[in-house]
Amino acid sequence: MGETILEIRHLSKAFGDHQVLRDIDFTVEKGDVTSIIGASGSGKSTLLRCINLLETPTGGEILYHGKNVAGRGVNAADYRSHVGMVFQSFNLFNNMTVLENCMVGQIKVLKKNKEDARKSAMNYLEKVGMAPYINAKPRQISGGQKQRVAIARALAMDPEVLLFDEPTSALDPEMVGEVLNVMQALANDGMTMLVVTHEMAFARDVSTHVVYMNQGVICEEGAPADVFGNPQQQETRDFLSRFRNA
Amino acid sequence: MEKFAQLGADIAKLWSKYGTSHYLPGIRNTLILALVATLIGCVIGFVCGVLNTIPHSKNDPPVKRFFLALVRAVVRIYVEVFRGTPMVLQAVFLYYGLPYFTDNAVKFNSIWAAAIVVVSVNTGAYMAESVRGGIISIDPGQTEGAMAIGMTHVQTMTSVILPQAIRNIMPQIGNNFIINVKDTSVMFIIGFPDFFSAHRAAVGASYLYFPSATVEMAGYLTMTLIASFLLRLLEKHLDGSSNYELAQADSLTMTAGTYTHPDRGTPFDEHSKEYRERTKEALKNRNGSTRGER
Repeated sequence: MGETILEIRHLSKAFGDHQVLRDIDFTVEKGDVTSIIGASGSGKSTLLRCINLLETPTGGEILYHGKNVAGRGVNAADYRSHVGMVFQSFNLFNNMTVLENCMVGQIKVLKKNKEDARKSAMNYLEKVGMAPYINAKPRQISGGQKQRVAIARALAMDPEVLLFDEPTSALDPEMVGEVLNVMQALANDGMTMLVVTHEMAFARDVSTHVVYMNQGVICEEGAPADVFGNPQQQETRDFLSRFRNA
Repeated sequence: MEKFAQLGADIAKLWSKYGTSHYLPGIRNTLILALVATLIGCVIGFVCGVLNTIPHSKNDPPVKRFFLALVRAVVRIYVEVFRGTPMVLQAVFLYYGLPYFTDNAVKFNSIWAAAIVVVSVNTGAYMAESVRGGIISIDPGQTEGAMAIGMTHVQTMTSVILPQAIRNIMPQIGNNFIINVKDTSVMFIIGFPDFFSAHRAAVGASYLYFPSATVEMAGYLTMTLIASFLLRLLEKHLDGSSNYELAQADSLTMTAGTYTHPDRGTPFDEHSKEYRERTKEALKNRNGSTRGER
């Protein structure tokens, strides 16, 4: 096995009295494509947002290369620049063009010069097939195109791991494919990815590791073939049976 | 009719006597004061608005939380006091109050400085709330997107949130400018030579109250109308082009690029002359169809 990038240890999160995550444990190693599946409200997105510190965990540790980033006195901005995130609602910067969206982080955060930033942005925009649209504003392109730009923006930061929060859930059905294709290409390139998804085909066929969450805990995890082919828990079987015909 | 002729004659008389000595310099001073004070007021408003929207969580160290609470309280008091009292009184308070309390040690050396400070501080109090509104109106997803690529709060604000907030509060900034063009007239109280003080000077000697007021009304309306027009132009400019150029010209991307205008070049393009004429024709014939003959 490769080098460990992220280790989640006994992570918990509560909003007031409502316990959303309980005692979450898992590890992300270099090159892993981990899919987190589960019903809506099971805490998948909260888990991902905790990992990127967009939510502050109420307990447990997130070890990034062995160093806990969930405690006090951590430079969250610096950590986040190594951990890319792709959102369900894209969150492209509305005041910038497609190209500027992919350059601004490199210039402001990584302190690259404009020329290098542009080159690297173009490289990733080409990879996601959005190079012709560099001059468009986010409001002028479709949902699938926005999401591909969002992926390019995250990639341009040269992250060690990319988090995807239901990247295709806000898309029209005919646009889901173009985004999944890009994600599959990334996986083939060896990108380390952590994907919250409702796309069972992606989880089964592309990922190297599947985590099934139910009511704030990890109910079952393992290789896709095991989780999908021979689920051990009754909850997992019930959940997957709903996707059998898909 | 003869009343109007009389009015015209009186205005001509006033203008020949006070036009270049009082009215025109008054207009110039009013515009400079309104412009400078609006700009400084915007800066004050932005600083206050940004300070007011610094995120705070229970996990922050107590020192930081205390400091943020203090900043918010100070901004709050400033806004409430200056928004809640008449500007004409603020002018008197500052202009006469400072030397009164400091035995002339601290006072405004120039009437310009006093007027600019009072109007700026007043505008800032209104702008602080506008800016806060502008910032919280931006989708939180924009902040999350910026934080997710590792931007700090300041970078997020300057690169992502404020440019969008400024666009959203442009109408407010314009509003404040136009209000300032008119409301700087109260600065006559401390002797500022603005457009309205020209009126006071002119009628003091000529007793032509109504003709001079007519000049003032027309002058102020002209200034505000021109200002509105220029502000519209500026807003349009800020919005940028609704089109964009494709960086490559292959046929696939050409068709894909028409997403915002999918019917372009087809018989159903609502912007085409042909479509409009067909619609008009269809309405005339009242057959309800805009899609031509079948």
